[in-house]
Formats: sequence, C-alpha cells, structure tokens
Amino acid sequence: MTLIKNKEVTQDNWHYLIDGQALQTSHNIVSLSYWMENKADLSSGDAPLGLLVKGGEELTNFVNDLPHFSLIAIEFPTFADGRGYSLAKTLREQFKFSNEIRAIGDILPDQALYLTRVGFDALELADEELAPLALSKLDEFSVFYQPIHSAE
Amino acid sequence: MYLYNEFDQTLVNERVEQFRDQTARFLNGDLTEEQFRPLRLMNGLYIQTHAPMLRINIPYGLLSSKQLRMFAHISHKYDKDYGHFTTRQNMQFNWPELERVPDILADLASVQMHAIQSSGNCIRNTTSDPLAGVCADEIEDPRPYCEIIRQWSTLHPEFSYLPRKFKIAVSGSPKDRAATQVHDIGLHLKKNANEEIGFEVLVGGGLGRTPVIGQTINTFIAEKDLLSYLEAILRVYNRFGRRDNKYKARIKILVRETGLDTFKEQVETEWESIRHGHLSLSNEEIQRVKSFFTPPNYATSTNDTLEQHLANSGLFRQWFKQNTTEHKQTGYRVVFLSLKSPSRAPGDVTNVQMEQVADMADQYSFGQIRTTHDQNLALTDVKTSDLYALWQQLEKQDLATANIGTITDMICCPGLDFCSLANASSIDIAQGITDRFTDSAIDTGSISLKMSGCMNGCGHHSIGEIGILGVDKKGEQWYQLTLGGSDSHQSKLGDRLGKAIAKDLVVDAIDDIVHVYKSNRNDNENFANTLQRIGLQPFKDKVYDAH
Repeated sequence: MTLIKNKEVTQDNWHYLIDGQALQTSHNIVSLSYWMENKADLSSGDAPLGLLVKGGEELTNFVNDLPHFSLIAIEFPTFADGRGYSLAKTLREQFKFSNEIRAIGDILPDQALYLTRVGFDALELADEELAPLALSKLDEFSVFYQPIHSAE
Repeated sequence: MYLYNEFDQTLVNERVEQFRDQTARFLNGDLTEEQFRPLRLMNGLYIQTHAPMLRINIPYGLLSSKQLRMFAHISHKYDKDYGHFTTRQNMQFNWPELERVPDILADLASVQMHAIQSSGNCIRNTTSDPLAGVCADEIEDPRPYCEIIRQWSTLHPEFSYLPRKFKIAVSGSPKDRAATQVHDIGLHLKKNANEEIGFEVLVGGGLGRTPVIGQTINTFIAEKDLLSYLEAILRVYNRFGRRDNKYKARIKILVRETGLDTFKEQVETEWESIRHGHLSLSNEEIQRVKSFFTPPNYATSTNDTLEQHLANSGLFRQWFKQNTTEHKQTGYRVVFLSLKSPSRAPGDVTNVQMEQVADMADQYSFGQIRTTHDQNLALTDVKTSDLYALWQQLEKQDLATANIGTITDMICCPGLDFCSLANASSIDIAQGITDRFTDSAIDTGSISLKMSGCMNGCGHHSIGEIGILGVDKKGEQWYQLTLGGSDSHQSKLGDRLGKAIAKDLVVDAIDDIVHVYKSNRNDNENFANTLQRIGLQPFKDKVYDAH
C-alpha cells in the first residue's frame, strides 16, 4: 500500500479497522455498518475518525453524520465502476465536505488525475511500484474544460 | 465553424502524448489487456476481426476541407486507401496498426481533430442536423450548443466510467434529421412565449437490443441551464444506472425501471443544487461560441444557367431532383453526395474521393463538408449556377448516384466482414439490394432501408421503414425483417414481419415487399402511408407464401 497526497508519497497515519480486531486509539477508518452499530461509542471522543464507504453507497445513509468524520474513504470495486467519482464530487460540492476524501480499491495510475479533479485528495495504491507513474499522471494535462470543485 | 484556440489545442496535444504513453506501456506488458481496454476505447480504438478499428470524431458532422484532406492522407498512409462514415457522423478506419495509432492521433491534432471518447462507456460525440444553419425551417442553429456540449463533455473527469456509453443529439428544426428520439439524451431547440431560447429535453431513447423511443423529461430548459441540466442527468445515471449486466446498463433501462416521474424528480433535485453554480452559461460565452457559426458571405446568384441545364440534361435533372434540396438563402441549394454507389459498401469513401470532395468544397461550398446520419456527405452552400459544374465533377468521382432517400440509399453497419460483434454479414446483402433496385429506385420512391448485422443495431434497423437484422441460427446467417419504423420527428419502432429469412432469400423478400407497396399505393402515396393504410398482412402473405 502506498498513499499519494499533495502530489507526493506520504506516510499513512490511518488504520482500517479489521473485523474482530480492537480499535486503535486514534485515526481509525471504520465501515459504515460498524459506524451504524457503534455510533454512540465512536462519537464520544475527539480522536479523528474515518469512514469507509463503497462507491455506490447511498448518500442518505451517512450524509447526516459527515461532521463526525475527518476522512471518507471511497472504495472502487473495479476501476471501471465510476460511481465513486460522483460520490466524491457530491460530497465536495453539495455537502461542502472539506476533510480528506481518499480513493481506495481498484484504481489505475491513469485515473489519478480524474480522481483528484472530482475532489479526491488522497489516493491509496495497492502496488507501491506504481506510485511514480501515478504521480507523473497527475501532471498529464495542463488545461481542463471542467472547472474544479469549489469546496476549498 | 469552431476554431481551436491555444487552450483547445493544448488539450488535444496532451491527449496524444497520454495515449502514446499508454500504448507503449501496453506493448511493453506494463498494462494488461483488461486495463488497456477502457483506455484505448476512450480514444476510439477497438480490436476487431482483422485489425484494430479507429473511430474519429467529427463534431456534429462538420468538417473543413483541410480536415477531410487529412482523412485522405491518413487512409493512404496508415490504412487501405479508404474510410467509412458512420451513422453517428464519424469516420472509421478499419486497418490501422496499433503501434501507429498515436501517430495518427498526432496527425489529427494538427488539424484540430481527435478520437477522444469516440467509444467506451463515456459521453460520445454529440451529433446534430446536417442541415444546421442552412435549412429554412430552423428555430435556432444547434451547432453552437453542440460545441458547448462537446467542450463540457470532453475528458469529463466524473463521467468517464459510466455504466455504459452515452449519446447526445441536438436538433434545431421541427423536422428531426438527427434521430434525437433514439439517443440517450435528445435536445430540441425551442423558443418560449418570451422568445427566449431553450431546449425540450428527451431522455432514455436508444437502439440496440432493447430499442426505446426517448421520452420528454422537461419541456423547456433555458439555454443558460443546458449544462447543469445535462450534468444532473448524467450524475443520476452514473450513480444509479445498472452495472450488473451490460445489456441493461443504458439509461433507457434506468428510466424504465425507475419510472419517468421518479427519474425526473431525482434529476431535478440534483439540478436544483447545481443550476446556479459554475455550469450556468453566461450570455457572453454563448455569444462567443455563436460567433464561430455566422452565415458565410452569400453572393447573389441567378437561376438562368440552371434552368437551361435542367432542360437539356435528363440525368442532371434526375440528380437535381433527388440529391439536392432547398436552402434558406435564395440562389443556393444543399447538395448531397451519395456514398451509396453500386460499386462501394454504404458509407465507404476512398482517399481520392476525399481529396476531390475537399477540392469541390473549397471551390463551391465555402470549404466545408457535412456528414449525415444516413452515411452520406453534404455540401450545404452551393450556388445554383454552380450546380451543373459540380454535378459533372461528382459524376467523375462516382458520388452522384441519384438515390438520396431511396431504397438503395440504405444505412448499413460493417457487419460480419469487419465487426467482431456481428452475427451476419450486411455488406453482401446491401450489394444484392443495390443490384436489384438500382434501375427502379427512383420510381419506387422514398423508402428508408436500414440494416444491422446484429441486435446491437449500429445500422438502426429498428427505425427503418424496412429494417433488416442479421441473426445467428445454429451457425447460419438469417435475417429478421421489420416494417414501419421511422426516424422522423415522430420516431417509431418497426413491427416484425414474421420469422427470420434465409440469407439467399432476403433480396427476393425485399423485392416482394416493394412489389406489394407499388401495387397498392395511391398516386404519390409513400411507403409509410401505404403500409399504415393496408397493414402488415398483405406484406406477410406475399413474403411468406412465396417461399
């Protein structure tokens, strides 16, 4: 696993909560179902919390809980499934979510630029050898017909 | 026509370099076939039966003579000296080598052309009326809006991995010459009671396995809201369109399964949240794009010589009647160049023909050429006093077959000869029909015949007055006939005539259908009206009793 943020490879301070394991003290990324079951416990402290959703997840299932999250990780089941793009764009534009939105799952280096254009600011690549290529792809175009999201 | 500025050119150049890198990585083994597939498709590159097929966008069917010369050059340098015009107004080359495709794209970029999103599950080339800007019945010229849509949809980061392909067509006239009702989105330019420009928006039309006529989702969207409304439709489709079955992934299925009212509610809720944002079109931007589509500098022309030639030459008279049509400017005609000569496959054109047409466009029609959804070309601004000279040149190039709108002016996909999806051949059937009807086509009158080699329907068989669909029956090629389809402003799907017909009997069956029509028609009654009056049965009786 390797994480790209702000056009460079970055140390990842977050942990995905794996079934049956204990929570870390901070920076946990939990699934939507885990969040729904443990909402009261999870929202009691100040520790940054992340939420993992699938690209096709229904927005209404978590959009009211957005203030609880410092990170939303959107998972791509296959690189050809583009639902995650619309989800990220909607979170940025309509719900003004300004914390980290991370792309995980099956993403190609060739998709890095489009992902950042719709509002992803962190890309998690399964194969770290692909990081230099993904970074170079971020600068592949210098002009765009579509203005960028306006959450910042 | 629209001319690239530095911004547009940079984008296309960078795209060429992107694809060069992707192709190199695929050839090195750094990209798998599965990974390369959507990337090459978004650059118009299919892997077909014999070789790759490259599809190049002709935005809303408008070409400059320089661009057409580049097609001629490409067909000669990289292909087999010919190209194929498609029903979506694009150009296809059937024999390029994968290794050389990046060079072809670079050549295209040098004349402001590209293959971006000409295939793949993304927003395809926006198509329009080939008579835009010159037809007398036009409410508003659709081309500036097509260009605005082209720019918005090009390399759209959010809509490049849709459930399935997505096609938009725009018409500016009450008479629909762009088949807008069988597109994922059809846009009809309108003016409201205050004379403001806007669009009636149709959604969920399409051909293929499940042909559907599009339904009106909104009767009037103001022009400034065009892009925000399109974006709202695309976003709802991208989020909710089916991805479990590629045959159920088009927006028509989503609209059907959701119901138009609920779908409209979803779209308009989305739209409300974005319509006042950055996609709202300013009047300045609309006027900027419109300034590229002002009428050419028309001269005054007299009809004297035309009348004389019409009186003297029967062949010229026949061509004039069949292959030219009225122009909004007095003293000008629209000329159709038939790509349905008996000696070539429908829609095919040689490099020499392309070069000659480019020269004729420069000489007679302000250097521009249009492609039509019937797979012909048009020179839209020809002085009536030039028609005779132009006809003589077209005759020499085998582009003056006087058959526009007749049964031999058929729409036809490449079929089994080239396409890896096809179940049956189309080109040899087309040739058989051409041979049978060439001498009687004009007398037979206006009949639209459309043929596809498989149910994907690239040849639009469902909306042909006579439709022919190639099917596979235990390894043999059979053909399903339909009658009564229409692609006019009131599009309609054809009705099945009966069971599929064996290949060697198809041309005879078409002959039977034409025979029934001719022996039943009243005076100048057209095929569609005769069919409506007498019904399918007499056609069925004749076709199936005979064999």
